[in-house]
Amino acid sequence: MALSLLYYAQEFFRWEWIRKFFAAKTAPLVIPSYFRNYPELTGKTCTHHLFCMMACPAPGAIDVIHTPEGWQPRIHIGHCIRCGLCVEACPNGVLTSGRILESMFYDNTKLSFSFRIDVDTEKCMGCGNCAVACPVNKLIDAQMSYGGHASTEDLLLKVSEGKCHVLHVEKCTGCKTCENHCPNEAIQVARLLEAVHAPEDEV
Amino acid sequence: MKRTVDVSIPVGPVHPCWKEPTRVKCETRGEFVLSAEVELGYMKKGIERIMRGRPWQEVMFLAERVCGICSVIHNMVFIEALEKMSSIEVPERAALLRVIVNELDRMQSHILANFSYCYTIEHETLGMYLLDSREKVLDELERITGARITCAYMVPGGVRFNLRDEDALHLRASMDTLEKEITRYMGMFEHGPLIALRSREIGILTRDAAREACACGPTARASGLPESDRRLKHPTYQKLGFTPVSREEGDNFARIMVRFQEMLQSISLILRCLDTLPVGPIRGGGIPGAGEIAYSGEAPRGELSYFIKTDAAGRVLEIAIQTPSIMNIEACCHYMLTGVASMADVPSTFVSADPCIACTER
Repeated sequence: MALSLLYYAQEFFRWEWIRKFFAAKTAPLVIPSYFRNYPELTGKTCTHHLFCMMACPAPGAIDVIHTPEGWQPRIHIGHCIRCGLCVEACPNGVLTSGRILESMFYDNTKLSFSFRIDVDTEKCMGCGNCAVACPVNKLIDAQMSYGGHASTEDLLLKVSEGKCHVLHVEKCTGCKTCENHCPNEAIQVARLLEAVHAPEDEV
Repeated sequence: MKRTVDVSIPVGPVHPCWKEPTRVKCETRGEFVLSAEVELGYMKKGIERIMRGRPWQEVMFLAERVCGICSVIHNMVFIEALEKMSSIEVPERAALLRVIVNELDRMQSHILANFSYCYTIEHETLGMYLLDSREKVLDELERITGARITCAYMVPGGVRFNLRDEDALHLRASMDTLEKEITRYMGMFEHGPLIALRSREIGILTRDAAREACACGPTARASGLPESDRRLKHPTYQKLGFTPVSREEGDNFARIMVRFQEMLQSISLILRCLDTLPVGPIRGGGIPGAGEIAYSGEAPRGELSYFIKTDAAGRVLEIAIQTPSIMNIEACCHYMLTGVASMADVPSTFVSADPCIACTER
């Protein structure tokens, strides 16, 4: 008993403790500048690549809408998990959150997207819906006929010999329009995210 | 065998000392606990099912949300499994930064576990002191990663943010203060006579019992099984010359002391990382491909294993997570709680094994 009283006395009759007891103040409630908060707009021009939407892990947290000032990402606060991937994936620095944009500039880092298209030849029946619907194909060959047949080889997708073929996968923008238009779920687009150091010329 | 049982006393699922809901049913004679049984399943999330068919950038965040206390290690084990599967190299600076963040996370988890124990044995003062130190650790985590708990710091091939020079200085300074504070709290815990009355020789888990129950983490290391530490098999920790702590007593006191010692060890590991941190890239790039792997790492509570199967586009086809708490809960109810002399020691013994129910039920 005496020992433990002595122990507590030893603990509390210290100058440090007494000073803290009378002079302690609650820290002011401010959000530190390094906190990764909800992304905000920086005012730079959005080029509608939609990489922010593709990188976002939370369903329905971000979309890019058309406003009188042009394209603009919009964050849905209740859905956003504040991961900051959209900030890192944006090629133009439209969004900012905490120190992410700043540290991307200093460390020369970015998240880059590449796309991969898998066609299941067992399921593909060569209807050509994917090739006709593809927005990249529309820019290259606006006259593409029903069935996905075309004479040019510059296309992203093309139907030949009754099957869909991927000709130039590097032209893909990852929109998944082909996947949504396939009646057989034969075509699948994968969005591959890679954490890299940005090439010098892009910074 | 026929036993005389007075009454079966349920503890939980709602109990002021427990962070998460679970029920311990104790068969007692008087107050002496003859045997105990744990009832789980109050908060099943089915997170492994949600992970299927998703690419790494989505699964990474889901993996972090398996457990709210040790989120960094879930991220780390998942990402390192993917890296090992697709042979992605990590730059040295990134590997050391991972260790720093992981050890900070381990410290905050251990501090919370020890707070919980102190709160359960009604020593709230020490508990609140510990929570005050935890704020410092969380501030450091926030400074480096931008978030306190769900840091999302590691990505395949590296880490997301670099450690700035001013942050490294701040980290060093707060590691020094934390070392002083934790040494003091450890002394208070070690020499406090009232704490010893509630902790020493209570809830004993012998070395054989720990091995039989497959106990892991601080629970196993308090029973004299230092080889259970998975960090011994991690290449970065091997480079840092890591040696696990262990104690022989196997009681509640030893389990809490092992956590205190591990905090001090984490501080020395972080300082060693800061000393040897080379200048260089923090990301090596690399996209996870097809494969199948079982990989484990050391969570604050013990061995955490991920089994992952992915397709060629890097989507997760199959995933199974084995978390450490389930082994420790089994060790707790079959060995530690059996023979506890008083019902008042049941919550404190259960909490000393640091059961994380969110991890266990996923």
